[in-house]
Amino acid sequence: MSNYIVTVKQVPDITQITGNAFNPETGTLKRGTLPSVINKLDADALAFANKMKHLSPGKIVCLTMGPPKSSEVLTYSLSRCADHAVLLTDRVLGGADTPATANPLAYAIRKIAKDIFNGNDDYVVISGMQSVDGDTAQVPAQIAEELQIPCIAYATEVESINGKFRIEKIVSGGNQWVSPKALPYVVTVANYEYPLFASFRRSRWANKFAVINWTADDIKPTLFGYDGSKTRVTRVFPPPKGARKNKHCHNIDEFVKELVSTYKKGRSSGAFEGEETDYIVPSDRPGGLFQRNYEGTDKEINAYKQVTQALSKLGITKVDQLNESLVERVQEHLQEKLTKKMLQEMIEGYKTTQTSYSGDVWVIAEHDGKKTNDVTCELLGKATHLAKPLGVRVGVVIAGYQCKHMANDLIAAGADDVHIIEDVLLEDFRPGPYRNAVVDAIKKHNPQIVLFGATPQGRVLAPMIAYRLGCGLTADCTSLDIRDNSRQGNIAILMQTRPALGGNIMATIITKDSKIQMATARLGVMKKNRPDHSRKGNIIEHSVTLAESDVGFDIIKTELSGGSANLSNADVVVSGGRGLRNKDNYDKLVSDLAAVIRKKLDCQVELGASRAAVEQGFINRTHQVGQTGTAVSPRLYIALGISGAIQHLIGIENSEIIVAINSDPLAPIFKHSDYYMVGNAEEIVPQITEALRH
Amino acid sequence: MEIKEKDNTHISILVVGAGPAGLAAAIAARSANKDADIAVLEKGEAVGNHNLSGAVLETASLKRLLDEARPDWRTIKGADSILGREVKDDEVQLLLGKELAVNISFLMKICKKLGLSFGEICNDGNSIVSISKLTRLLGEIALSLGIEIYTGFGVKEILYDQDNRKAHGVKLVDQGLDKEGNPQPNYIEGETITADIIILAEGTDGLVTEDFVVKAGLNRKNDQVFSVGVKEIIRVSQQKYESFGDNRVIHTMGFPLWLPIFGPAIFGGGFAYSCGENEIAVGIIAGADWKYYNFNPQKALEDFKQHTVIREYVDGGEIIEAGVKMIPEGGYYAVPRYLPSGSDEKTMKTVGYKNVMIIGDSAGFVNMKKIKGLHNAIESGALAGNAAIKCLETPEKAADEYTRKLESNSVMDEMKSARNFRAIVARFGQAIGVPLSIAGNLLPRFTMEKDYKTMTSRKFTFYTPGEFDKPTFVALAVTEHREEQPSHLSILDPSLCINQCDSLFNRACITFCPAGVYEKIGIDTRPANPSNCVHCKTCQRKCPFDNIRWTVPEGNGGPKYKLM
Repeated sequence: MSNYIVTVKQVPDITQITGNAFNPETGTLKRGTLPSVINKLDADALAFANKMKHLSPGKIVCLTMGPPKSSEVLTYSLSRCADHAVLLTDRVLGGADTPATANPLAYAIRKIAKDIFNGNDDYVVISGMQSVDGDTAQVPAQIAEELQIPCIAYATEVESINGKFRIEKIVSGGNQWVSPKALPYVVTVANYEYPLFASFRRSRWANKFAVINWTADDIKPTLFGYDGSKTRVTRVFPPPKGARKNKHCHNIDEFVKELVSTYKKGRSSGAFEGEETDYIVPSDRPGGLFQRNYEGTDKEINAYKQVTQALSKLGITKVDQLNESLVERVQEHLQEKLTKKMLQEMIEGYKTTQTSYSGDVWVIAEHDGKKTNDVTCELLGKATHLAKPLGVRVGVVIAGYQCKHMANDLIAAGADDVHIIEDVLLEDFRPGPYRNAVVDAIKKHNPQIVLFGATPQGRVLAPMIAYRLGCGLTADCTSLDIRDNSRQGNIAILMQTRPALGGNIMATIITKDSKIQMATARLGVMKKNRPDHSRKGNIIEHSVTLAESDVGFDIIKTELSGGSANLSNADVVVSGGRGLRNKDNYDKLVSDLAAVIRKKLDCQVELGASRAAVEQGFINRTHQVGQTGTAVSPRLYIALGISGAIQHLIGIENSEIIVAINSDPLAPIFKHSDYYMVGNAEEIVPQITEALRH
Repeated sequence: MEIKEKDNTHISILVVGAGPAGLAAAIAARSANKDADIAVLEKGEAVGNHNLSGAVLETASLKRLLDEARPDWRTIKGADSILGREVKDDEVQLLLGKELAVNISFLMKICKKLGLSFGEICNDGNSIVSISKLTRLLGEIALSLGIEIYTGFGVKEILYDQDNRKAHGVKLVDQGLDKEGNPQPNYIEGETITADIIILAEGTDGLVTEDFVVKAGLNRKNDQVFSVGVKEIIRVSQQKYESFGDNRVIHTMGFPLWLPIFGPAIFGGGFAYSCGENEIAVGIIAGADWKYYNFNPQKALEDFKQHTVIREYVDGGEIIEAGVKMIPEGGYYAVPRYLPSGSDEKTMKTVGYKNVMIIGDSAGFVNMKKIKGLHNAIESGALAGNAAIKCLETPEKAADEYTRKLESNSVMDEMKSARNFRAIVARFGQAIGVPLSIAGNLLPRFTMEKDYKTMTSRKFTFYTPGEFDKPTFVALAVTEHREEQPSHLSILDPSLCINQCDSLFNRACITFCPAGVYEKIGIDTRPANPSNCVHCKTCQRKCPFDNIRWTVPEGNGGPKYKLM
């Protein structure tokens, strides 16, 4: 007997984004053109909760936070399985980032346990792993952190053995069955087949159901709204246009020709981080302290350029000469007029010349016990690039059991300091002990930037650590740069850019009200340093006291899929999805095509698969491409019968050329491909293989 | 909180279909009785998703309805822009070949002055509307009045008690079956919903309506016939839009469907309307009694867009939405009615039976002289809604009351006056038929053949080469269904496709289905891509062997029209 709280969110239906959804002039999404729906993974979470309820009876309460309209998702939940519904709605809760969302939700959960469950704490919080509009996957982990309860992330199945739940979850390269030690805990659902349908009977009941409305006063959260947020969006812009050619090919010969010729044209940029840096602190700038060409946007840079020229004409060269009265005098020398407020801010901005943060740039390493993962080296490449102009060191934290031997490789990859934390409780990754270990090291050394990989591990660990340290965190960054935001008095801050709304827009985010700037970075985006084994670095061993009680759940078994797909280094990846229908088709179509390409293009070709294909047993999990599998960046990615779920698209977007074959003309993958054919893969692929043979 | 079975599966007034007719019925009923228990079922994922029309609307019925129900409706956000585009430039062009056009607007105006039938095509005082947007507005108003609307529920059949000769409810479509029809873990059997009064407002060729027609023994004097309408919304440059104008409607006759003497002869025409925001709606309406085995209305639209009169405006534009639907054109004689035994000319023949009323396109209230049905859909809906309230205590009298209201109302007057128009054209062709129709009401009743019987092995010559890009079209209709469900389309006798259709008509469904649902697989013709279906139902009416059946798929599937 346990109760269930499902957090649900209303999101814009990004599957309905068509040409009409964007403003033709600005390229941004038109407000209100997309209908609102329940976040797909939250619908999966409801089905997951319903299954748990059947295994161990109890009440299901659905909870959402948002404007009054978001009660629609509560009606959705009630019409499927929920017994009760709570809407958290209050203007003061709006404009929140993830910690300022997680905090009120956690307080509401406490109140649900008290009021609706009559003080019974035997409950499970079930959330979709992430929302389609934010894609951060941070809120559920931060709810767990606020409630000080374990978080079991990326669940895909649940069963009950001897009255105890066993949960299957995705881990890098495989699956894991775990058993929670005690209630309550948070489960995030990465995927659950068979979302529930509404019944008419329930829908009618739901329609009349009096949803409980709570305001901030009812729950008294400690962190909420814009003021409680630790990050701020500074810019939203359309993703770079023309990135994909989106060419619809109608015949095989044309398709094959395009594919081969674009492949042979080759890669435009190298795979390693270059030497040059693109930031200089104000005190070292050749043009002096007044040179401000490292602002966040070109527009700001241009404005500063003009004002700097004007100041020079007025003979102002020192910070102490700056004052309010300059505003009008500067205005006279400008070609394009700026608002008075903006000018005031800009002039004020010249006064700040010191960097806003201090400390080193850190990377939290990820490893399998034998060697570190690629993403760690990628992050070290980026960290070197960020640390150099700031004149600080690159640190890396590696937590585990008997993991010292990896230190030298980390130094070769760019680390100056390797912080090693070893404990038997750190042997397998579990968020509780890992969080404690890493938080401990951070508190001792106070870095200014901490980077994690946006992996199943990093995406649960980072939000917990950020929440515990009260720092901002940006998920899934595709670009990280040191820039100034002089008007706000920010110098040398980390500008964190990431796609949002399923890649339909880009957002640049900065950290606020935090001592540390934290980010998770997408796999395969950042470039490694060329390994240098002659580099020297410090190895610092930390001792940490961990308790069995931090563990949260027992690992029953881990199934790391055998084989060694080397997806991340392949030149070409040929992937198959559910559209291939069965394992025989997968084996035949994908392998044949891969073999022919290997011969024709003389390169390294690997087999990949969508998550759906792996679930269906077409091939083992090591071949899974996507956010929850391996992110790939081959020169050529071929998707056969893959519709293009967002998690898959994220994992392939750094491929140089993407080609797709799918029978559904609406398949999202087409929008993300360079060349595509609409049709049945079973018919088309053998013809392509044949055409490539000659 | 316990879910009480009975409270939630019985409804006083149940409306099947949340289109303009069904919502008008619900709104009229609710405004006549604030406490009435009214629910509307809709198979689409959201209200408005499955609604497509030209559309130029005679607004009187709608305004009357809304003034009554929500006197402040004009202040609702968006109401203004949805109904505010009055027709100012109204023209009719006769297209003779690909380049030539004769503006015959003045002729139509003279006809109107003289009171001649085809003058009724004139649109002074009417508004250009998006029916999809209008339906969403009606849905919003209905909800605000306390009407319950449930989207995503397909109705499988009407529950009709043959012993008592009475309908007592409907059965919903099963949810959660796999492709082979086996229940998945999330399976929900289609529920039974009982109701005192049922209003059938499914739109063209309603499945439950036809089920009811058979079960209750309703009759049509003439078989229902259809047209297929294809529509695209094209975003053009500001300059081109300004030259087209913001309040303009163009209707065309002739090219590409019909050319005098030796040209093709398909009933129908084209249109182009201003939609605001630099968008122009263009479309073709083609009588489904076409004779050409290779005809596809989308190709005809492509040709139409190449005509000088249209190309001038839409060339280089971007298609932002597209869709297809059928229009019931049989008119007065094709309205399904109940004929009591021993009835004579004087006996009232109800449109529906006892507690079941049929409204809008499901009844076939399209006036072919005006080429409009929307105003009648709304009007008939309002009448049915009022009849339902009047008969709440005596539900079995509802169809009587409704029919009495219809007969004394403009709906039936119009339908009667246009009763022979379509049939005369079908019989005599457009060149003679259209002028002859002036005398239409003096002539006897002409019968028409069902559309599927007219197919021949004659070939239609299209002007634009190549095959129509159906996948893109389907994407622009934003249609989808859950893939893992049984096909909602079936071919009754595969051997007909192989042995007869193949040689005679080259498997016409593969060509005419606008969504590319049908494919030749091996030697069979199969509904290979049912998830692409845009719910136009052309296949079940035009398969030359009457060999295709359309059933209602799991709820939430189908197109997602936003601007249609």
